[in-house]
Amino acid sequence: MPACSANCGKNAILKRPKTGDALCKECFFEAFENEIHFTITRAKLFTPGSTVAVAASGGKDSTVLAYVLKLLNEKYGYNLKLVLLSIDEGITGYRDDSLETVKQNRDDYEMPLKIMSYKDLYGWTMDEIVAEVGRKNNCTFCGVFRRQALDRGAMLLKVNYLATGHNADDIAETVLMNILRGDLARLNRCTSIITDSGDGIPRVKPLKYTYEKEIVMYAYFRKLVYFSTECIFAPNAYRGHARVLLKDLEKVDPAVIMNIIQSGESLCVNETANMPTLMTCERCGYGSSQKICKACTLLEGLNRGLPRLGIGKSSKVKKLIEQDDLKRSAAGCCKSKNKSDCGNCACNKNEIKRDLSKAVEELKI
Amino acid sequence: MCSVGDDNLEEKTSKYMEPVPKFKLDDNKCNKCRASTPCIVLRGKDAYCQACFLSGTTHKFKAFLGKHRFVYPNDKVLVYHTEGHPSTSLLHFLRSGLDLSTPKKLRFEPIVIYIEDKIDLSSEERSDAAEFIRKQVEEYKFPLHYISLCDCVKKNNKVAECLVDDISKLSIGDNDKENLNQVLNSKANTTNKRDILKIYKKTILIEAAKHLGCKVVFTPELGIDIASQLLTNVSLGRGIHLALDVGICDNRDEDVKIVRPLRHFEIKELAMYNHFNRLEVVAKKEKLENIYSSVQSLMKNFVGGLQNNFPATITTIVRTGDKLAMEKSLEDNPRCVLCRGPQENRNEELTSAESTSFSHWVSTRSPQYSMTPVERYEKSLESFSVAGDSPYCFACERLSHDLVVS
Repeated sequence: MPACSANCGKNAILKRPKTGDALCKECFFEAFENEIHFTITRAKLFTPGSTVAVAASGGKDSTVLAYVLKLLNEKYGYNLKLVLLSIDEGITGYRDDSLETVKQNRDDYEMPLKIMSYKDLYGWTMDEIVAEVGRKNNCTFCGVFRRQALDRGAMLLKVNYLATGHNADDIAETVLMNILRGDLARLNRCTSIITDSGDGIPRVKPLKYTYEKEIVMYAYFRKLVYFSTECIFAPNAYRGHARVLLKDLEKVDPAVIMNIIQSGESLCVNETANMPTLMTCERCGYGSSQKICKACTLLEGLNRGLPRLGIGKSSKVKKLIEQDDLKRSAAGCCKSKNKSDCGNCACNKNEIKRDLSKAVEELKI
Repeated sequence: MCSVGDDNLEEKTSKYMEPVPKFKLDDNKCNKCRASTPCIVLRGKDAYCQACFLSGTTHKFKAFLGKHRFVYPNDKVLVYHTEGHPSTSLLHFLRSGLDLSTPKKLRFEPIVIYIEDKIDLSSEERSDAAEFIRKQVEEYKFPLHYISLCDCVKKNNKVAECLVDDISKLSIGDNDKENLNQVLNSKANTTNKRDILKIYKKTILIEAAKHLGCKVVFTPELGIDIASQLLTNVSLGRGIHLALDVGICDNRDEDVKIVRPLRHFEIKELAMYNHFNRLEVVAKKEKLENIYSSVQSLMKNFVGGLQNNFPATITTIVRTGDKLAMEKSLEDNPRCVLCRGPQENRNEELTSAESTSFSHWVSTRSPQYSMTPVERYEKSLESFSVAGDSPYCFACERLSHDLVVS
């Protein structure tokens, strides 16, 4: 075993992928925590006295984030009020188990926990959605719904910030994926450490410069309880390519991850390129780049029994809805007449539960 | 527990990938003239007859030049010859464009340059390659200049001294490889070596263009080269110069622009163009590489592989590159002494570079456990400062450790 790079006299237990230095356990804990503190203070992530919701899935990233934020909050006196916010997608055998871990964290770290469920917010669980759309493309639903569910949860809890556990690997992977997809708008903003989803609650990524490997090592050495099972539904195919590429690049040189983030931070889009602007959705009032947000479109598709409506080109959505309306009025379906009598479509089985005030009532802590 | 395939969620058809319908040439007419029988299928779906294909290919080349207007009448243009199909097509595009008698005639003067850099081949093979190029360029009636990469690096990039117009003066030595490796740190990895040589070659092109009075350089990179170079540069931290390195035009030098006129072509198009025109091609001999030996080879392999399954991959990446720009506020920043691009703004917002150097800083300082943890942090922060006066940009800073001479 090589000696610790910090010359503390002990033997190193790990080689840091970020810098190539070897550290002993104590020096690693201190470096790991101080780096996150440096990120938080240097990028001015939080104002003192504010409330921060930690998006908690029970996985390694969010568990370490919650633990380190609590630790730094006490050590450096951030004067923050921390709460946990979890989303229950309704995936049997995955989320129900991981939520148990989050509840454990709630008790261990003495933070209040709020769970928002897809069933309450949208009327559909992921299990039901997968039964409709199949295993392909179901990550589209889950991702879009989760993003908005977190926004809603943050609003409900009246927090000032929403902290997510995105790590350096996630960011680098997203940069590569956005290049492969040619998504300039996302490429431009995916490396920002603070983003605003349009509702005034900034999302912050305190682990942006922290390697996934170090997070795992930190959780392991600190003996943190986390849930490490992959989602049981098929992983998102296209992100998979970026992930494989990044893992291969890491084999060649682990510093590539930081290089990719540096590139993402410094690249600049031509002024003449067409870029979407942030608006609010006409239906639900949450942030969107379209008149109707993706979550509403996907939900409309589910409720109409057209699950593929929101997948693919957004320009085709309006036409498909019009066609469906025509078909329904021809069949004398609920869209034009009495809802409860309808036996023709999915809307009878799953009534739309999108009224936020109603959801708030049901979800009171 | 594996749960793939044991549920009844999906209809049988979507469980497997649908087979791509095989394209049949016989049943179709040319996509363009709708009359002749096609002889080539592009993009896996568009069939063309020989005449339409050839005119379409020529048009694509000339449309690129016409759209961007880099070259003005009577300008001299330096054409970088790298062997292989792309360079041959490029010479033919230029010669046939210049020989036109219609108003669409090209009106500039190409000068060809060959950079001799095949250090992995034997001296004999290298001389043969140079001789073949001499014959080829002579046929197209363009002036040709040679330069040895090794010679040039040894003479500290004094390009004017090393440029020769007679093949007998081109120096090809048996120990060029060792000589070239001497200017690089022996510990330098393949990724960095290739990155450095790439920058050297670009410097040669720019200096040679100045020496020969050319305002524009044409390089023969294809779509796949641009796409893998773009991803490589992102991975090496060169995002700031992406628009210059892989965009339509590199104008970081005030006098000479580097243009990549073949960026929207794929190898199949040019190979077929050469084949139909019965052009003799200088075969390109390259060493077979382990894909994990460098970021560059990994990227090329990745882009090629993804292109097979997703035919829009290369065009998407190349078009992404087209839409990037150099940030205006950086134009007046000091230039990096190696790649000559503007340096990053420093000490403004927290960047990945600063985070990495902070990580290295805290990982190499002896902890003083007599102080409280907060005091220790304050102490290390006090003495931490970002290297503010480096003459290199972020990516070249890393390369600078591998340069023996600078």
